[in-house]
Amino acid sequence: MTTATLSTPKPGGLKRLIERYPFLPALLIALVLLGLNGLYQPRSVSFIGITGLVKTYLALIMLAIAQTYVVYAGDIDLSVGAIVSLVNVVIVVMMEKMGGTGFSVVAALGMGLLVGLACGIVNGIVVAALRLQAIVATFATSIFFTGLALYVMPVAGTPAPATFWRTYGGRFFEIPFVFYAAVLLAIVIYVLARTRLATQLLAVGDDAQAAFQSGLPVTKIRIQGYALCGLFAALAAFCITGDTASGDPLVGGKMTLFSVAAVVLGGSALSGGFGTVVGSIVGALIIGLINSLVFFVGTPSEWQNLVQGLAILVALMAGILVGRRARA
Amino acid sequence: MSKLIMRGVSKAYGATLALRRGDLTVEAGEVHVLIGSNGSGKSTLCKVLAGSVRPDNGEILIDGKPVTISGPHAARASGIGIFYQELSLAGHRTVAENICLPDMPGGIFVDRAALENRAQRYIALFDTVSGEGFAAEAVVENLRADQRQLVEIMKALATEAPITIFDEPTSALDRAQVDRFFEILRDLKAEGRSIIFISHRMDEIFAIGDRVTVIRDGETVGTENIADTNPGAVIRLMVGGQDELAPGASAPPATAATRNGAVLTVANFSGKGFANVGFEVAKGEILGFGGLHGQGQSAVLRAIFGANPSSGGALALSGSAFVPSDPRAAIRRGLAYVSGDRSRDGVISGRPILENVTPIHYLKQKLFLARPSALAERVKPALEALHTKFAGLGHPINSLSGGNQQKIVIARWLIDRPDVLLLDDPTKGIDLSAKADLFALIRKLAAEGMGIVLYSSEDAELLNNADRILVFNGGQVRRELTGADRTRYNLYQAAYEAA
Repeated sequence: MTTATLSTPKPGGLKRLIERYPFLPALLIALVLLGLNGLYQPRSVSFIGITGLVKTYLALIMLAIAQTYVVYAGDIDLSVGAIVSLVNVVIVVMMEKMGGTGFSVVAALGMGLLVGLACGIVNGIVVAALRLQAIVATFATSIFFTGLALYVMPVAGTPAPATFWRTYGGRFFEIPFVFYAAVLLAIVIYVLARTRLATQLLAVGDDAQAAFQSGLPVTKIRIQGYALCGLFAALAAFCITGDTASGDPLVGGKMTLFSVAAVVLGGSALSGGFGTVVGSIVGALIIGLINSLVFFVGTPSEWQNLVQGLAILVALMAGILVGRRARA
Repeated sequence: MSKLIMRGVSKAYGATLALRRGDLTVEAGEVHVLIGSNGSGKSTLCKVLAGSVRPDNGEILIDGKPVTISGPHAARASGIGIFYQELSLAGHRTVAENICLPDMPGGIFVDRAALENRAQRYIALFDTVSGEGFAAEAVVENLRADQRQLVEIMKALATEAPITIFDEPTSALDRAQVDRFFEILRDLKAEGRSIIFISHRMDEIFAIGDRVTVIRDGETVGTENIADTNPGAVIRLMVGGQDELAPGASAPPATAATRNGAVLTVANFSGKGFANVGFEVAKGEILGFGGLHGQGQSAVLRAIFGANPSSGGALALSGSAFVPSDPRAAIRRGLAYVSGDRSRDGVISGRPILENVTPIHYLKQKLFLARPSALAERVKPALEALHTKFAGLGHPINSLSGGNQQKIVIARWLIDRPDVLLLDDPTKGIDLSAKADLFALIRKLAAEGMGIVLYSSEDAELLNNADRILVFNGGQVRRELTGADRTRYNLYQAAYEAA
């Protein structure tokens, strides 16, 4: 369809570019932050530094992806963090009970995916089929999931078996495991973007009534969006378990709103119908880079939250301003 | 055997009967026109067929077999496709995706090549008339209104349904686009497909239709062969026996006598949805806006009041120039606006009656603080004039019926008298006795010298209460009906004329 695109009038190349790749402003901000990181701590832009960044923030990236599919349809999921916690404690307990062998790890991961999927479906049914408000309903399920996590593991600290976290933190053929994970992730996202579901979610987010009148099964589509979200939240839990090497029933709670912030930073509309998964990944990286920058600059610990919050606000504003300027 | 038979279909929304007895028989290979005035139930009948509204009663037969249409998906499965008047497009998706949205090719994954191919087939149909920037990859949001309407047409065509409904498909299209669309419809007809076509342009109906079914007040009143009838006969069928109840039933027109100075003058007024509108309202006159729904009547009223932007024109209030900027300015200059959409424009939901009557008083008198008891004294005469029934000023407005709520909203404007009262379909969803009270009040206000502009989607209200009627069509004033010309027949004829 290049011919068709070329033959249409060009209302400014930049506008067209941003329309096609709405995450470009976010990418720009991420690159600036990366540069600043390098300025204050040259080692942070080295191979090892980048590996560490990806290793630490892969969980948030996964969670931002999870949130994106729900936001596509104009919904929101405030229970993603709780799902991460629940999956985290379930797999750690299961690996421990089964003796920490290679088989136990695979079985536990399978179980983790099932738990994530189940949580997602519960959310979907509550929001789409029972028609409760997404914000409040998923807030309620988040408390419920956290309760389950606390039942499975009342106190944080059970260690994950070494087989698991050594793999996550290790290298194969001199390349860190997380990069394999990232490549696999890229393939999965590429494939998912081509599914019927992705287009349907966006159509529902654009105008649910119009989608219904077009004959789309709106309720089913929204539930599938939440199910996909649950699966990616489970993947996020795997990453965080690999990174922290232990179980903690409250580990994901504080990540929920970061995932929403990452989606918005990436240029997606919270009202639905418009967004990209790549943008959310960049958004998650921006949050990670801000955190490390705050550390590298040497902010006193009592000021770190304040600076971090301000930096995220500035990044949000910059993204909106750049996008608006380009679109006008 | 007929392709489609609908018998005795009815649908009520709460207490309002939208469709009383809808009958429709459509043959294979015909374009069947459905016509009726505002709120006659033709759109409801189509929505029942398309599955977006569930009927209360009645039966539907396709190819002689009874079918139940439980939703849009079921309608599609029964071979029914529809073009929605209010469009059902996803703004951020591409043209190709929208065309194929109801039934995307491929399994779990979208078959992009097949999708482009299929979309291209329908895009090609309109190649010569779709205009610049129209491409499979174009994002729908960036298209012009007529191009978006073409996408919706293509989407309906892409269902390849044996029965396809087009609910006012041509409202935004230009002449060449309409001609091309009609050629395509004739091809479909030749293939044996059935088309149900709703339009309010008489010339189009006679250009494309084979038969016409007329719906009046929720009832099918007749079906004619287009070849055997003429526009006048169709309008008479729409009007029915109610023709001559019209002229000035409630009050003699006082037009000529009171034309002693215009309180509102509008010239060359243009904005979104209307163009070059000009009229005068005299002191004591009730000027009616008529015509089909959404032909610019509301848009003009809202623009005068400053609630919608306008792009050009000259306005004057009692001779001195007035530029509509925002409602606050309009209120200060003596304009009042009452809308039929009470929940959006009128009622302050959940608050006491007193608070609902006083906001304009606060604004006009620049009140900052006020004692409720003193306010109550000011408010009572206005409410009494309207025969408003209420238990106490402190009760929430939601405890009142729709008619009484609207009276409260009108009373809001009467504490400090405006010079011009703009009524935007004010009786929507109001019971009969409240309507009678309302119109008696409006006539009294006019007699006391207020200038009133009344838009009503109920033709009887207009014919009974307006001294003059301006008939809108396509955002412009098409005809002015005065004196004995104010008949239902003339009103419909002007409303259905080619725009």
